[in-house]
Amino acid sequence: MSITIDDVKKLAILSRLEFTDDEIKKFVSDLEATLKQVEAINKVDVSNVDLIEDTIDADTDLRRDVVIPSLKASEIVSNAPEKEDGAFLVPVTVVED
Amino acid sequence: MKYIDYSLSEILDLLNSKKVTAVELVNSCFEQIEATADLNALNSTYKEMALARAKEIDEARTRGEKVGALAGVPIVLKDNINFLGTKTSCASKFLENFVSPYTATCAKKLYDAGAIIIGKANMDEFAMGSSNENSAFGAVKNPVDNTCVPGGSSGGSACSVAAKQCFAALGTDTGGSIREPSSFCGVVGIKPTYGRVSRYGVVAFASSLDQVGPLTRTVRDNATMLNIISGKDEADMTTSNTAVPDFTANLDKGVKGIKIGVAKQFFTDQLSSEVSTTLKNAIEWYRQAGAEIVEVDLPSLDTALAVYYVISSAEAASNLARFDGVKYGRRAPVYKDVVDLYFKSRTQGFGAEVKRRIMLGNYVLSSGYYDAFYRKAKRVQKVIRNEFNKAFESCDVLISPTTATTAFKLGEKSNDCVAMYLTDIFTVPINIAGVPALSMPCGKDSKGLPIGMQIIAKHFNEATIYQVANAFETAHKEEK
Repeated sequence: MSITIDDVKKLAILSRLEFTDDEIKKFVSDLEATLKQVEAINKVDVSNVDLIEDTIDADTDLRRDVVIPSLKASEIVSNAPEKEDGAFLVPVTVVED
Repeated sequence: MKYIDYSLSEILDLLNSKKVTAVELVNSCFEQIEATADLNALNSTYKEMALARAKEIDEARTRGEKVGALAGVPIVLKDNINFLGTKTSCASKFLENFVSPYTATCAKKLYDAGAIIIGKANMDEFAMGSSNENSAFGAVKNPVDNTCVPGGSSGGSACSVAAKQCFAALGTDTGGSIREPSSFCGVVGIKPTYGRVSRYGVVAFASSLDQVGPLTRTVRDNATMLNIISGKDEADMTTSNTAVPDFTANLDKGVKGIKIGVAKQFFTDQLSSEVSTTLKNAIEWYRQAGAEIVEVDLPSLDTALAVYYVISSAEAASNLARFDGVKYGRRAPVYKDVVDLYFKSRTQGFGAEVKRRIMLGNYVLSSGYYDAFYRKAKRVQKVIRNEFNKAFESCDVLISPTTATTAFKLGEKSNDCVAMYLTDIFTVPINIAGVPALSMPCGKDSKGLPIGMQIIAKHFNEATIYQVANAFETAHKEEK
């Protein structure tokens, strides 16, 4: 599986991460090496395997649909890097023309 | 003998017979923490809070009140487990100043049982790593040989227990993060069955694989800890309704008639000869102790690491999307607009390995690759799980090495991500299958570094693991 510099740049945008040119080059080789390992999954015949997305066969159930106490707004915003009047503060996202 | 030299079970006897107080124990743990500070095992400590809690517990005991099963025992939590009012950094610059606004279920159960939380353990950032070198707050050193890594990602938890800073610690294990450091530091660590312990309040790495478990100095201590933290939790729908037995009940039953499975796929060329010989001797000991050794086959075992890197990275990329510099954690000081705020905060906040997993995760989930990687990996996961289930039709437990080698040197693998990933070849399949597995010391190599033995059982059969582990530990006590 070959990875190009453009692939890595596209992935970086998807990941909301910025990299220097040197870091991007390193990613090309790191990702190629990792994906080479990942190719091992193609050795296994899965033609008879149902695609079941669950991970556990355990006896589990959904939470009961009842109201229970949860965190207060002040507790939720307590770790926000910037806050105002109990709300998260973000830069302006909607601008009038 | 100093207080810290006792096991958790022994110290509980001393506490309950009032031969020692919780305050004395907290003080002796903090003396040891200071004496071994160069190991860098802990990210934060809570001496004042711990002493206040210890005093409460001592007073309750003096008054003759009923106290919890762990009343007065100093414990360490991995730094990705929330405990109200303490820092939970995940060893990341992103969460350097994050203070938990609530308590994780596993930590609450320990607290309610009277355990005293004395600190939070260093780890690989967001639990991604096998050497504890990926911490934003510096690498942890192996207490047996401080030029070696302690293993990861729960390296601080394993180091703290081995260095006798506490009587037990909690870690988390997504692909070996409890068992590999347990093996490298010579302690006992279990990854319980997926669904046995609540993940509520534990910072998510790969939600379908993550599991919390205890690290301790003895098998009995480990069973005692798992008794407390297990069970159904309404706040985590993946916890199972399966009954929680008393994990200490079968400890002394021995191994006569127990069927131990050995799979050739666990004894590969990658295994060092010292680890291989030590494991074979351990298996021979079990045979002589009355266990029946049976050969089993796990033909797809060598694909588990590939499955793991697809599934865990995909889930990690999704879980870590929440770190945006808005709701909590670090915000970049300079940015142009809201999108730039995301880019800058994430770029400055995450370390190199975390970025690598996010990139890999987004690659395998991206359009055009999802079927080839993610769906395929989920199908192979099912094959691996079926193979384990089939193996357990002919045996009670499987025994394997925990790691192919003993602890490696600090810096030895930090520039080669594939070599680092290969450290986990024997632990990762267990998370993929969702079964429980414990690592315990079974000998030392010629350099004196601990060798770990992994004991695996079918889903929800931790009690059998403890029975088999305790038989070996009891017979080899003098060698420790």
